[in-house]
Amino acid sequence: MSEHNWLLRVRNLTKIYGEPNERTLALTGPEWNSNICPDTDSIVACAGVSFDLYPGEVLGIVGESGSGKSTIVKLLYFDMEKTAGSAWLRPYNDGRANMLEASGQQKRYIRNHLMGTVYQNPRDGLNFRFSSGGNIAEKLIMAGSLHVGSIRERASFLLEKTEVPVRRMDDTPAAFSGGMQQRVQIAKAIANNPPLLFLDEVTTGLDVSVQAKVLDLIRELQQELGIAMIVVSHDLSVIRMLTDRTLVMKHGRVVESGLTDQILQDPQHAYTQLLVSSLL
Amino acid sequence: MNIVEVNQLSKTFELHILHDKMITALHDIEFSIAEGEIIGLTGKSGSGKSSLMKCLYRTYLATGGEILYASSEGKTVDLVKATDHEVIALRRSEIRYCSQFLSVIPRVSAIDVVADPLARTEKNRDLARARAKDLLEVLGLPTALWDAFPVTFSGGEQQRINVARAIIARPRLLLIDEPTASLDTRTKDVVIGLIRDLKQEGTSVLCISHDDYTLERLADRRLHLQSGRITNPITEII
Repeated sequence: MSEHNWLLRVRNLTKIYGEPNERTLALTGPEWNSNICPDTDSIVACAGVSFDLYPGEVLGIVGESGSGKSTIVKLLYFDMEKTAGSAWLRPYNDGRANMLEASGQQKRYIRNHLMGTVYQNPRDGLNFRFSSGGNIAEKLIMAGSLHVGSIRERASFLLEKTEVPVRRMDDTPAAFSGGMQQRVQIAKAIANNPPLLFLDEVTTGLDVSVQAKVLDLIRELQQELGIAMIVVSHDLSVIRMLTDRTLVMKHGRVVESGLTDQILQDPQHAYTQLLVSSLL
Repeated sequence: MNIVEVNQLSKTFELHILHDKMITALHDIEFSIAEGEIIGLTGKSGSGKSSLMKCLYRTYLATGGEILYASSEGKTVDLVKATDHEVIALRRSEIRYCSQFLSVIPRVSAIDVVADPLARTEKNRDLARARAKDLLEVLGLPTALWDAFPVTFSGGEQQRINVARAIIARPRLLLIDEPTASLDTRTKDVVIGLIRDLKQEGTSVLCISHDDYTLERLADRRLHLQSGRITNPITEII
């Protein structure tokens, strides 16, 4: 892993709601125990977030609700507009253009060809009016596949891979259990072999046996396909099992980053120490 | 040639949630590990053995000093200051840590748990699984358990899985914590034999053990820790 072969490079990623002034960043963050600016009431969802992600690497983002971890993923997947910051993705213009400044059309291209995302709520990632096969087809068509036969073949391959019974390909996800909906979402997200996958609280709310199955699937896909992933979770055991490196967030800022086992066993920041010592 | 040189290494934990209480685990540690050498690390519980090992693996961030590692590419890397990505790359290809306790993803079979590190380096799962089967056979793990999930195994069975997983990819530096603690004598001998085989191929080993039987058969030298300090100039075992 040399300094230069990163897949995704993020610098100073910032999202602020409301009308910030020049003191907003200085008056918010973990040392103020708040992400709300006392001057302007603007809310700093995340600020100054920088990291590199290497091909095939799995990066975890932990923190409590509202700490800004999902915001990072939403900004990078263009579900949200940044306030400031840059992000370069190697397969897009050979990593030379800030993808956050790309045109709408280019952003659609990046989303459809170079990234996949799995949301906590399957309703955000799947269209419940389409069949599960139709959902996968939608992603493939957006990425330029037009041949019905090959789309159907790819969809059944992906459903098999994610252990969704292929005979239920024509059923809508509404008729599926939560774990199965999540697996259809994963199948859809990886449909066009993206080099980068975002996973936002994907096992939250699933019971433990289903959770284990989803985690095992993610680990298998990562090893087999070598997809780089950003895993957002408030669950430290999910982070421990899946990730190489971890960012810890509080009040919109990264308070600590490091190797995942180091973060869990030798946390440096007071907040991380509290988080780790609260682990059941 | 030395693979590891540790100079003036210290480790202090600063516990912010206990009013910034400071606990010093290691003071001024100096030693080296030569290529193909096995060093036995001894000392009472709480003397700092695991802390030292974790500093070498960068699970703990050292507070001071340096850990110079001579990589297979001929570079010298200070494991105290190396970037996370440098450490990840070394862990994938040449440095392996084997803790006392097995920690795995639930619902992954024993064979796959063992095969994983090799499948990552060789990019060939079938070959890795075949090698994993060989190791589990040598270690006497009943074949009925090969497809079962290790979380349900006994202590001794888990330990064998853990050892197999640590050595399958033939690391250059093996950090191994109590590899024989819950094993019967016959299985101990197998584990000792496997680690000696690695040594023959040039692997350097740092091995924590309370067990004289294991250390007598394995260690070239011993390093004794007391309250976070090395108390002996390394004892040569003849």
